[in-house]
Amino acid sequence: MKRLLAVFLGVLTAIGGFVDIGDLVANAATGARFDMNLAWAVVVGVVGIVVYAEMCGRVAALSGRAVFDLVRERLGPRMAMANLAASFFINLLTLTAEIAGVAIALSLAASVNYLLLIPLAAVLVWLVIWRMPFETMERVFGLLGLSLLVFAVAVWRFGPDWSTLFHDSATPTVPTTESPWTYAYYAIALFGAAMTPYEVFFFSSGAVEERWTEKDLRINRINVLIGFPLGGALSLAIMALSHLVLAPRHIDVGLLSQVTLPVASVVGRLGLAAVLIGIFAATFGAALETSLSAGYIIGQYFGWPWGKYVRARQAARFHLVVLIVIVVGALFGMTRVDPVKVTEYSIVLAAAALPLTYFPILVLANDRDYVGEHCNGRAMNFVAMVYLVILVLVSLATIPLMIITRAGA
Amino acid sequence: MSEATGRTLWAALQLLDRQLRDRHDILCGNVDDVELTYDDDEKVLYATAILSGPGRLARRMGRRRVGDWLVAFFASTTVDGHDPSRIPFRVVRNFGPVIDLAVDADDLASFATERWVRDHVISHIPGNDHAAE
Repeated sequence: MKRLLAVFLGVLTAIGGFVDIGDLVANAATGARFDMNLAWAVVVGVVGIVVYAEMCGRVAALSGRAVFDLVRERLGPRMAMANLAASFFINLLTLTAEIAGVAIALSLAASVNYLLLIPLAAVLVWLVIWRMPFETMERVFGLLGLSLLVFAVAVWRFGPDWSTLFHDSATPTVPTTESPWTYAYYAIALFGAAMTPYEVFFFSSGAVEERWTEKDLRINRINVLIGFPLGGALSLAIMALSHLVLAPRHIDVGLLSQVTLPVASVVGRLGLAAVLIGIFAATFGAALETSLSAGYIIGQYFGWPWGKYVRARQAARFHLVVLIVIVVGALFGMTRVDPVKVTEYSIVLAAAALPLTYFPILVLANDRDYVGEHCNGRAMNFVAMVYLVILVLVSLATIPLMIITRAGA
Repeated sequence: MSEATGRTLWAALQLLDRQLRDRHDILCGNVDDVELTYDDDEKVLYATAILSGPGRLARRMGRRRVGDWLVAFFASTTVDGHDPSRIPFRVVRNFGPVIDLAVDADDLASFATERWVRDHVISHIPGNDHAAE
């Protein structure tokens, strides 16, 4: 049983990272607009995050150092500061959207305007961080997030022609109604969503919070091999359902409430309840992940005591940062910014900053000072290098594509 | 480093920007800079101290005046006016991904703001002494 529970760090990281508010909408929207022609981007992203999350989990278990420690140690204080500023800003955008997402999930159940529920959502997020033990937190929200599997149930109940579905996914083409630029833009959005940096910030810091050691390397591997592919499978299920139900009716997705429609129509009331719980858990989990990550990366850059594994008064600056970002995120969310737009921008901007985070991980996963005998093997380094090239290309292409396509319009 | 230690440390790679930890295993800043002293007799440069604290980081990033001012400010807060951002190598217990020190975090410049936030903000929130496990 303990073995089983030990995978929830990966499950929560992945659910918060893959199916938070922006991804829920992005997956549903791409399914409706591009059918299954972008499924490959999710698969490419999943492999990349598995490879790099395994490395940073391994480094964390063997050296007790989390990702932003490595970033500063390898890039030096200036470059690391640039990365810190970019990551912190992107993180704040995501947190804003997630707090709004929690409020929207509550409002779909309670029929109250979501703006009124934002303060409540923010207080709940802070209380969980302030009082709930780390492992309880990841189990509760990881487990609740699993109710999103109802998307997979809905696809199965819909009874599609499986061979056509797989064939469509395996032979992608640019739909005639879309330009190759928007196609590339959405591919980057899906790839960026799979590899958002806050996932590795949270995952590696979580490994330190749980005091992983050399004995936990297996747990690390199981975590990344179950958690992230599960997150990817959920993304694909959402995409497929939207392709099956919404695309034939020419419905475009721009609201979180529209994501729930296909499930409600296929599985019914119980399905709708499961989706609402799942969306609540996924957005809440992502809010926890991003607000904690804000504290983690600043604390690790400056060498402060950080984390929930020490008493709050022993990590005072860390908790102050977390408190401030939650307040700022909630206030920003209450200005009626569109949370879906905010995450879409944050995902794409994150794609531009990716190499600065992933490069140091790769270097230190080969440093015997950090990992002793558990250095990367040749195959691992080869795959990781290929991904580093992809990350650099993506980061160069992101901003121009954003301008050319007017952010995918 | 001298050959007598039996191990060469590459300051830029294995010292700069590493995490410091005090004698109670409390994280207490990073190696923001290293003090080098020129020995006139032997004609060599010796690394004589680890430098850590807001002023030292600002200086290394090219903000000389702000850095000097911060270093002087933290020195003025100590009882005898010594510079708390200067950590001599004799208190270093161990080098590695983490550098262990034989001092208390409370005596270091990098910990001054931590103390302030703890005493003026976090200790006023109920539950601050509650271990999260």
